[in-house]
Amino acid sequence: MGRRAVILLCLLAFGTHARAQDLPDDVGFSLDGLGISDDLFAPEEDTTPDWLQPFTFRLSQQLFAQTNPHRVPVAGGGDREKNAYIENHRLSLLTRYQNPFAPGWLLQASAQIKLYWPGDYESRANGDRVDTEFRLNEFFVQRSEGDTSLKLGAQTVVWGENIGNSVLDVINTSEFRDLTIIDIEDARLNQWMLVRDRFYGNHQWSSFLNLYPEFNPPPVRGSPFFFEPAFNLTDYRRDKPLFEAGTQMRWSLTGSDISIMAAYLYENQLHYSAPPSGTGNALSEAGDYLLLGFSANRAIGRLLLNLDVAYSHDILVDVLLANGSDVGTVAVRKLGGTAGFEYAIDNEQNLMLGVTAETLLKEDEALEPGQQLLSDRSAGNALLRYSNSLRNGDLLLSVTMQSALDAASMLGSVALQYTLSNHFSLTTQAIATRADRDSALASLDHDLRLGMTLSWTF
Amino acid sequence: MKGLQTHHRAGRLSVLFACTLAALATCQNALAQMSARDILEQVEDSLRSTTDSAFNRIQLSSCQFGVRNNQITCAERARVKALESVGINFGPENRDTRSVTIVLEPPAEKGVGMLSITYDESDRDNETWLYLSALGTVKRIASGNSDDDTEPASIFGSEFTTEDQDTGKLDEYSLNILEETTEGGREVWKIEAIPNEERARKTRYARTVQYVDKERFVTLRADMYDQHDREIKRLLASRVEQINGVWVARSLTMMNLVSNRLSNMAILEINTGIDVPEDFLTQRTLTDVAFRETELQKLREQID
Repeated sequence: MGRRAVILLCLLAFGTHARAQDLPDDVGFSLDGLGISDDLFAPEEDTTPDWLQPFTFRLSQQLFAQTNPHRVPVAGGGDREKNAYIENHRLSLLTRYQNPFAPGWLLQASAQIKLYWPGDYESRANGDRVDTEFRLNEFFVQRSEGDTSLKLGAQTVVWGENIGNSVLDVINTSEFRDLTIIDIEDARLNQWMLVRDRFYGNHQWSSFLNLYPEFNPPPVRGSPFFFEPAFNLTDYRRDKPLFEAGTQMRWSLTGSDISIMAAYLYENQLHYSAPPSGTGNALSEAGDYLLLGFSANRAIGRLLLNLDVAYSHDILVDVLLANGSDVGTVAVRKLGGTAGFEYAIDNEQNLMLGVTAETLLKEDEALEPGQQLLSDRSAGNALLRYSNSLRNGDLLLSVTMQSALDAASMLGSVALQYTLSNHFSLTTQAIATRADRDSALASLDHDLRLGMTLSWTF
Repeated sequence: MKGLQTHHRAGRLSVLFACTLAALATCQNALAQMSARDILEQVEDSLRSTTDSAFNRIQLSSCQFGVRNNQITCAERARVKALESVGINFGPENRDTRSVTIVLEPPAEKGVGMLSITYDESDRDNETWLYLSALGTVKRIASGNSDDDTEPASIFGSEFTTEDQDTGKLDEYSLNILEETTEGGREVWKIEAIPNEERARKTRYARTVQYVDKERFVTLRADMYDQHDREIKRLLASRVEQINGVWVARSLTMMNLVSNRLSNMAILEINTGIDVPEDFLTQRTLTDVAFRETELQKLREQID
């Protein structure tokens, strides 16, 4: 079943490519004496009813498979057979709504409905039945008057200049269920916040207040990142009111944008420890901390340099306690930075590199005698992306490499997106992963995923 | 150089004044005496007026082209982008441009916005910010300057490049009227523009031949040649209409004769001379949709 699906995927991918090449390469004629009719480009009449105008829909069918049968290491030593299998077989309907319903007012929302067909890991975890999921992403009302704007509701706040791996992009929680995402909304989770922006010419002062901070959800059963936990990982028990608040000042100068920011936040990732009884639900701990940040970019011709710096005060790290068996947490300070560049090679080709590194500061002073860090004091990753846009953007090739700085785990991806029409697009993708035996991603070592996503946007 | 420009401008104004008041024969004499540079300066002035205090709606269609029944036609269904743009000219001699462009179509790109500041000055980098609605953030784009020694930037992925819409570089060309002829039934000057040594390093075109309407000062056709004198691109203009006293081609088709792809830029709505508030052409317009729609409504009311 799995092998047949892979063959089908390959045929579809090559079939698409062949159709693209069928178009004439050389028209071979003289233009003199030939005319061109304006009717050719006459705008189509928009027959969308008024009430549907604020909506945009994207319906996507995705099929992905792990195609490389091999052996992977397992916790505690040894290894196990990993066969080729279908991983994602799902239909997603993303709906966006944007309605400026009165002068100075806006209502914006987006939501997803997903159907997990038999074969998808979410369906397998549900007894091979078709499973469904609904998620509300954005839902906010905005009021803008004079130089001020207020937004209340579920929304995202993105800090940092480096897209995809910035040390400052920590306001919203995220959920990476697997290696493929249909929409960016799949990964970034919105939070209920009040956001106030003030604009003064080339300055922007932006502040937020979050009265119900959320945390990264635990891995979904059956997903490639899922591991069988020793104890139940439940939602955080809120035994006191929580809040987050932050502010950012941004200036735009000639050739450069600069921001400084400060925030009181909760770590997006909860810290779990064993229950005192030894069974049942794990204890979860939320770490609050102070973030001070700085970000800047600088454009030099076709080169854009990006820098993000984050200082986190009282961030929690997991430690092995002095008794040598229990796990606890200790508050330490952390300094992180992301430096990167984007270079427009020409009109069609772009190259982007971002390197993130984080290190604990004077953690020895925070640790009590006998305590040991459970993770490295320094860590980081690098993200390299190349894209080439052909045929007026109809064909987009993107190559991505992501790696831990110590090369303990690596991911390589090649994606080809073909715009079939003004409404349809097809993306084919190959993702290869490699990981050391002692890496958190060891179960993905030597995996090769092939897949495609067909999208209809209207 | 300033003195030279003043001289040319004064000369052009005299010609227009004469055309308005004097007899046709006198007017034809004045036109006959216009140099290639005078003509192209007037063409550029018309072009600049379409971006100054302007609120436009544009449709960009791109496709692979072929020929059917002696007509150039798309060999596939054209990919269409609909854009709404607001811009002003500013700076020395009003030759810099600040504009905001919002994508209305295709649905997959709806809401993507771009703020551009384009400087006429050769050594000053243009500035561009892009709002990516899916990411919810504004991003600076390194777009280089008008005179980079690199390929001119494509306009929204189409066959049009910034070089095709560039103005203010006539000093860097040797200009000659090749002949007076007809194009599409209109009397035209056929003007050849050859870049000087410095400009030649920055342009893809070793030679350009423009067909300029003698009455309307609109380029009806332009042929672009590479260094081997091979025609690589051709621009065709149509739907020439008078807007606020200026003749404007509302449909421009750029054919890339190397890749056999074409892009058509149709100006669906053009409104010039409107009062654009200064704070509209800022990054706020990209992110603050409530503000943007309120201000756009005010602009629409000016038009109505």
